[in-house]
Amino acid sequence: MKQALTLVPLLILPFVLNDFWLTQVATRSLILGIMALSLSFLATYLGVVSFAQATMAGMAGYTIAFFGPNSVGIGVQLPFWVSIPLALTLAVVSGGLIGLIARRSRGIYAIMITLAIGVAFFYFTRQNYALFNGWTGFSGVRAPQIAGLSLRDPLPLYLLSLGVAALALALVSGFVRSPLGLTIQAVRDAPGRVLALGISVTTPIVAAFAFSGLLAGAGGILNVWYQERISSFSVGLGPIIDILIISVIGGLRHPGGAFVGAVVFVLLDTFAVDLIDRERFNTLIGVVLLLIVIVAPGGLQQLASDWMARLRRPEAPKKSTV
Amino acid sequence: MPVNHLHNTANALEVRGIGKRFGGFWAVQDIDLTVRPGERRAILGPNGAGKTSLFNVLTGDTSATTGQITLFGDSVTREPINKRIQRGLRRTYQHAHLFNGLTVRDTLFLAVAGLRGSWRQVLPLRATDARLAESERLAEIAGVADVLDRETSELSHGQRRQLEIGIALAENPKILLLDEPAAGLSPAERPKLSALLMSLPKDVTVVLIEHDMDIALQTSESVSVLYNGRMLAEGSPDDIMRNEDVHRVYIGGAHGH
Ligand SMILES: Nc1ncnc2c1ncn2[C@@H]1O[C@H](COP(=O)(O)OP(=O)(O)OP(=O)(O)O)[C@@H](O)[C@H]1O
Ligand SMILES: [Mg+2]
Repeated sequence: MKQALTLVPLLILPFVLNDFWLTQVATRSLILGIMALSLSFLATYLGVVSFAQATMAGMAGYTIAFFGPNSVGIGVQLPFWVSIPLALTLAVVSGGLIGLIARRSRGIYAIMITLAIGVAFFYFTRQNYALFNGWTGFSGVRAPQIAGLSLRDPLPLYLLSLGVAALALALVSGFVRSPLGLTIQAVRDAPGRVLALGISVTTPIVAAFAFSGLLAGAGGILNVWYQERISSFSVGLGPIIDILIISVIGGLRHPGGAFVGAVVFVLLDTFAVDLIDRERFNTLIGVVLLLIVIVAPGGLQQLASDWMARLRRPEAPKKSTV
Repeated sequence: MPVNHLHNTANALEVRGIGKRFGGFWAVQDIDLTVRPGERRAILGPNGAGKTSLFNVLTGDTSATTGQITLFGDSVTREPINKRIQRGLRRTYQHAHLFNGLTVRDTLFLAVAGLRGSWRQVLPLRATDARLAESERLAEIAGVADVLDRETSELSHGQRRQLEIGIALAENPKILLLDEPAAGLSPAERPKLSALLMSLPKDVTVVLIEHDMDIALQTSESVSVLYNGRMLAEGSPDDIMRNEDVHRVYIGGAHGH
């Protein structure tokens, strides 16, 4: 297993990085990468770009905040082994519902519908106080303590995020080899032909969105533990665009690229402040995005694998398949 | 049992007064067609005669404007595609829209497996899955066994046509509608296709749209000729070859060779 080998340096990382690098860069990249993976999965295998991934992640995040310890005094305390499955279930259900709503849309129309859902959810969280506590949202959210190990500490949270990221990638590669996963790819290539085989296209589309909801939800849970808060701003246009940018930088056609994109994004986000002032970050990320789209439309992951292929076979660079 | 008895004597396909209108234009009109079980029927007709439009109505790809369709004694005029597929109706398309990102093996697998509802559909396929063995058998029959692991986007035109037939043969079809399977094939590939058509199980009913007279007459026992959306002539290959009208509009025209 070549993929498993890349885990080795990632497991050594905590011993060479200080807490700042481990938490602010490595863990954050993993969490954002998992959320971006939910988008890359949809784009790669269903051929749909969704702007509603932050909504699915937010459903899970809000569930954890509402049913766990928080400092705003809203919600019901449930043990983590109830609230985590509940959060994932709600993310999957919201993903499936979004898929159901967007099932007839492709291309720009799918983008518009999912964007509308994402923005609607953003405004809903701002106006609803009983469940979402309005625009201030929840703060003081605490990651649980499991077997004496606090998931708030840098090392456990990093290792958990790494484990979830690896599991998410493994789930994706297994799922796309399943009958349902193959059908999802068939719908991407020729939906009319899937119907002509007597197979419903609604089931695979809804399943793809629901599965992306599972990935986004896992990222959303880790994110609320990491941030220790969640509010309307966590599901607004900012995070929606961030997820898209990360996926595009990494390469929308490669699930693993989401993590490459996340590392680049987090490094820029963390250190651009030192180079240029905070306000210019959007300009910088815009320029990077533009460069990627022009120089490497397949994303950094594609660029890297092209180079690797060229190094190995200098005369015949082969189209890479992931 | 009376029901079985009915099935045994019923025609494979019975079409009465079928018409299909696009806007103000009748692509096919007043078509009657009867095909016996196990029959090999060719449908001839110049470009734009309405052959593909007729197939689309028969399979449910589009709905009929007028008329009745009966498959093995049961009316299917209002049934959706998937119901007709369950009755054993399969087709190939004149212009193949295949799953470009899937391999030949996975494409045939989907044709074999459909999506029978069970939670196991989300688990990775195992190499020992019987449905994969069935896909390989179909690839063997269709002549694409040597490219099983290629993506369909990498196939030659001829291989794509062969794969089309492999897809149509999945799950023991009872009646096959083939839309110009030989179109665009090289002279070397044509005899292979004829051989494939002749090797189909004898109890499978085949309706074949074909411009290639050699293939059509060699593989079929009866011929229907469409012209301007209407049925111009029907009969044995010999009858059709001798038919004056057919000569005038078809054989004597663009396709005289
Ligand atoms: N969806 C459609 N909308 C409008 N007109 C159509 C449509 N499909 C077919 N037609 C018209 O109906 C007529 C019959 O077309 P059809 O494709 O059935 O002919 P065909 O006999 O299959 O021809 P070919 O040999 O070229 O495949 C043509 O004039 C065509 O332009
Ligand atoms: Mg046609």
